[in-house]
Amino acid sequence: MSRLFLMALLIVALGPVFTGAAQAADGKALFGFYCAQCHGTEGEGDGPNVTGDFPVDPRNFTETAEMEKISDADIRNVIIDGGPIADKSPMMPPWGKTLTDAEIEALVGYLRQLCNCTGKTG
Amino acid sequence: MKTGASVFPALILLVMTSSLARADAAAGQAAFESSGCQSCHYTQGPATEKTIADQLAKKGPELWYAGSKFQRPWLETWLADPQPIRPMKFNSVMEPNPGGHAVLSADQAGPVADYLMSLRSDMVVDGAVKVKKKNLKGKLIFIKKMPCSGCHQFPTKKKFSGGLSGPSLIGAGERLNPDWILAYLREPKVFKPVKMMPVFVGVLSDKDMKNVAAHVATFK
Ligand code: HEC
Ligand code: HEC
Repeated sequence: MSRLFLMALLIVALGPVFTGAAQAADGKALFGFYCAQCHGTEGEGDGPNVTGDFPVDPRNFTETAEMEKISDADIRNVIIDGGPIADKSPMMPPWGKTLTDAEIEALVGYLRQLCNCTGKTG
Repeated sequence: MKTGASVFPALILLVMTSSLARADAAAGQAAFESSGCQSCHYTQGPATEKTIADQLAKKGPELWYAGSKFQRPWLETWLADPQPIRPMKFNSVMEPNPGGHAVLSADQAGPVADYLMSLRSDMVVDGAVKVKKKNLKGKLIFIKKMPCSGCHQFPTKKKFSGGLSGPSLIGAGERLNPDWILAYLREPKVFKPVKMMPVFVGVLSDKDMKNVAAHVATFK
């Protein structure tokens, strides 16, 4: 067997591992970069934008009881289209043109980690 | 003969002034490099950031399209007397901006401004945004429909208002080229591929973008 063939075999075998790693978006890093500016670095709704002028409180994601009331689909929709899609404030911006589907899924997962809850199903 | 005699000196003057400006830009580039500015600012486009880590690794905002972004008088003044633009430290969510940006002497600020103004992006369309005293449609977008105000400070009748995570837009009318504001909204990936601000392409119409750019351009 030639060395080249072995290399090719290795690349084919490892390919899925590499692409898998590229796709597994890091919910915590995404949250820290895009969401913490309003929702706070710990997700408690107290980011630097929440000054006295800010008209509505960004959701505190550690409030388990509140977060139980919404489903993963609700969270996904608000992230994609912004507050108004769920009759909430436009101060929650739409991220559908900014984030990939995989990144949005990672964020849903991370919010569930913050609330330590699963939310209503459906 | 008469016209020839007056055109000729005028031509010489024109050639002289344009080569002088070029000489100033070259001197400015030398001053930029010898002052260590490029250790925090890159001046070569296009943008290459692909991940959040790439963006966070940058120590200062990119300047490779500075000539399309800024207004020359503001730039020269700021280089000699830099005041904080972002309320928060660059690339930090929670830390306030400590200030203390590198200062250029008055005789270096001019040439460095010339150099930076020579760095242009052809994505910026001259004259695309018509700035008037007021743009009420743009104002409505800015404070209500797609609240830019959530993340950017802006002037109000009382004083100022707005969020702290984005660069302050107080004085944006003197700082930013209105046509660049529009280009930034239209082509966010060209200027900053990875950033904390949402992409509004497909969310705001082109008309909305023009109105909001024109509104920001009224900020004193
Ligand atoms: C400019 C500030 C801002 C940013 C940035 C922001 N949000 Fe929000 N978000 C809000 C506000 C304000 C609300 C509450 C709206 C209301 O209650 O009317 C909210 C609400 C939400 C909700 C709805 C919760 C509920 O109870 O229905 C979710 C989910 C959410 N944000 C997720 C995110 C995620 C994920 C990010 C980052 C990709 C993010 N937000 C970035 C301001 C922001
Ligand atoms: C230690 C890193 C560092 C060095 C060195 C540095 N800068 Fe900066 N520069 C920054 C940061 C950070 C900002 C953002 C400041 C703010 O928002 O208040 C900035 C902002 C600027 C801006 C405004 C850009 C914008 O988009 O707001 C210009 C112009 C500029 N610097 C030019 C220079 C020049 C010229 C030099 C050399 C004399 C220089 N910088 C040296 C870090 C640096």
